[in-house]
Amino acid sequence: MASNAAVPFWRAAGMTYISYSNICANLVRNCLKEPYKTEALTREKVHFSISKWTDGKPQKPTIRSDTPEE
Amino acid sequence: MRREDAPLGVRSISTQIVRNRMKSVKNIQKITKAMKMVAASKLRAIQVKAENSRGLWQPFTALLGDTPTVDAKKNVIVTISSDKGLCGGINSTAVKISKSLHKLNSGPDKENKYVILGEKAKAILVRDSKKDIELIITELQKNPLNYTQVSVLADDILKNVEFDALRIIYSKFHSVVSFLPTMATVLSPELVEREAESGGKLGELDSYEIEGGETKGEILQNLAEFQFSCVMFNAVLENACSEQGARMSAMDSSSRNAGEMLDRLTLTYNRTRQASITTELIEIISGASALEG
Repeated sequence: MASNAAVPFWRAAGMTYISYSNICANLVRNCLKEPYKTEALTREKVHFSISKWTDGKPQKPTIRSDTPEE
Repeated sequence: MRREDAPLGVRSISTQIVRNRMKSVKNIQKITKAMKMVAASKLRAIQVKAENSRGLWQPFTALLGDTPTVDAKKNVIVTISSDKGLCGGINSTAVKISKSLHKLNSGPDKENKYVILGEKAKAILVRDSKKDIELIITELQKNPLNYTQVSVLADDILKNVEFDALRIIYSKFHSVVSFLPTMATVLSPELVEREAESGGKLGELDSYEIEGGETKGEILQNLAEFQFSCVMFNAVLENACSEQGARMSAMDSSSRNAGEMLDRLTLTYNRTRQASITTELIEIISGASALEG
């Protein structure tokens, strides 16, 4: 048996609870009518630059400037 | 006003130099006053958000307790600082606390890693703790802070870093003049299970009923991730408030100092001006009396 507890589909697909709730929130925001919809969607903008370090050496920083998944 | 600044043969300070200095000090005073106003308005906007976000993590603390003294093998220290400077001492105190936490938790088979948010902490920590840094995140404040951004960030941290306990260091905003560095602890689900056995708040988790057909382990994992995201959101907001508040008070004291400097320069200016007038008068009068006599 792979697992003795049934994991929810999103956990099995490798998503964390955080990304799951973000997608759900995005769906709810898309259900609004204008003008509240554009207001709510501006609250979803993401921008930061993250750089992973290994052994005291920085790797190339990647900029995550996206609005979250779909 | 050094001797080299004045032309040769002049025995007192030139008024030109003093006047130039006064002009530049006045400009600095105007700039710092403007920065203080800007920081005050930004503070007002973000304070509302920070106070509203406090309600996000309070239920978690009520449920899971906040255990700063937990003994964890893999500690990850998340240091939150600002990207811009001129905000007083908050960044250096946050880094100082992170470093002392690192020292406190070091020992055989205990690991400490840093996740750094913000340029200012990065500049300090890169100098002496290079090998312990795991992730560095900057440019966080380009858009106004919102939950989605912080949660994506928290997601990235969770995916990239293994941890037993996450310790988030930020400056909590108590009031416009008081920002204290605080530490929030988030435990990984395995650690929560372990602590549950030793009793206390976590031991009462079993008395809660679980609906929905999920197991306790799953719920703990969801809760831990969500708790981290909420605590991060609140921490980032509070740190931003503290940054604006610190900037306000720093700029305020800077304008006050500029004002005092201006007063002293004005006195020097007037004194030299009167001295030169007196010298001229003396020369004229002595010249006139030499002609008569």
